[in-house]
Amino acid sequence: MSKTIVELTDELPSSGMTVRLLQGLDFLVPGQWTNLTGFENTITTVTGETDPEMIRQIGERAIYLYNDSEQGYQRAVWLYQTANSMGGKLGAAALANKIGESVSFLSFLEKITPQADNAQMIDFCLKLTAEVVAYYKINGIPGDGMGEFMAAVGDYGKESIMRLAALVTLDGLIPLGPDFLRKVESTMSGLDFSSNPVFNAMGNLIPGSDKLGFVGNAFHSMKDWMDNFVSSRGITAEGVVGNLKNFIEVSDDRLDYVAGFLDMTTNYFDYTGVQTVARRLVERAVAEI
Amino acid sequence: MNGRANNFICVFQRISLLTAFCLMLVMVSCGKKEDPRWAEAQKKAEQQLDAKKEAIKEGTMPKPQEGGGFNKFFPAAGDGFERVASQEKEGFSEYKLKKGGKEVAMLAINDIAANPSAADKFKSSTRMIGGFPAVDQGAMASAVLVANRYQVKVLSRDPSFTKANRDAWLAKFNLQGLSTMK
Repeated sequence: MSKTIVELTDELPSSGMTVRLLQGLDFLVPGQWTNLTGFENTITTVTGETDPEMIRQIGERAIYLYNDSEQGYQRAVWLYQTANSMGGKLGAAALANKIGESVSFLSFLEKITPQADNAQMIDFCLKLTAEVVAYYKINGIPGDGMGEFMAAVGDYGKESIMRLAALVTLDGLIPLGPDFLRKVESTMSGLDFSSNPVFNAMGNLIPGSDKLGFVGNAFHSMKDWMDNFVSSRGITAEGVVGNLKNFIEVSDDRLDYVAGFLDMTTNYFDYTGVQTVARRLVERAVAEI
Repeated sequence: MNGRANNFICVFQRISLLTAFCLMLVMVSCGKKEDPRWAEAQKKAEQQLDAKKEAIKEGTMPKPQEGGGFNKFFPAAGDGFERVASQEKEGFSEYKLKKGGKEVAMLAINDIAANPSAADKFKSSTRMIGGFPAVDQGAMASAVLVANRYQVKVLSRDPSFTKANRDAWLAKFNLQGLSTMK
């Protein structure tokens, strides 16, 4: 095991690029996300308990559950971190590719870097896949029957809904444009996942033998929700970047550069992932002591 | 003389820098020092997990029930309360209780086979719910121990959901049914 849950939560900063980014996206899911940091603070915020002995018992149980690798919480953190780890590299690749398109003497870059859109679509699909697999690792398959399970998934809130809002806008809408879902759907079968290090790293945790099929299913299972999320709120890339400008210095004249820049300088996916895992862990720990 | 003075200043500056750097290191390491409660808990968890592996290998620890097996014993939604499945793991199942879209409580059943010390608090129980010992725990939780094996808990998540509400919801679980679960 790399870091303990205490280290992971205590190391979440109260400020910085990622925090500013998430503050800038708060208007998409108002009131859902608060920057939940610190192990003890997570316990008191989630449970409402302030008695030191209760906090100690809850903390102890949460640490035990996180340490037990069979409980899935460690794997969920690993998935969030792994899916995010390509962010910086893909961002760099996207930038290099744009230079390749506009600067002739660097045009050879076209040969060694993927098309920016394809790289972005792979990143988008793998984060969605990580989200689905991490959900199972954290929550199991809760409820009796499909109806209850779908209601459980539909009840995404707090850090989880913020992560999805960020995924849809920062990895979909802004870099790929308003028809990003249709674009991903029509291009998916031609995307080269098999040489992608994140896809290969995640392979063991993706259920079933048809790993690529699972990635496709993850996208299709969430496509309608994402479509509705964007259309029902009237979200546009310009609107999101316009609001982000209140928190981060970005320019809204080249949205693909904005996406690459945010990709390289922030880690919203594993940041909120750790917050989700810590919340669920504490929810279970307080119920078990 | 000037050269000596410069050398001295130079050496002094280096020493100052070194001291500042050392101080910084001390401050950083102090700042990052882990809370002894959690460091102790980490050690204890590792030992407990080793003991659990050993117990499973030797067959001395009963296998916890599947969490999904508990679902039928949870109370149904009603009276303006909505019930949403939340988490289901080996030996554990949990539902959220919402009212007006707001989370007001959590309902949980867990098998204490893997965490037997959870039963200790029921030794000082002074009341019963549905014929089973009940306790309040901390400020936000009330629990019942069924058949010395299954802990049923209701946890307030909002001040509007009182201790009386927790007791009422504990009584709504099918505790008798749960007591016969094998």
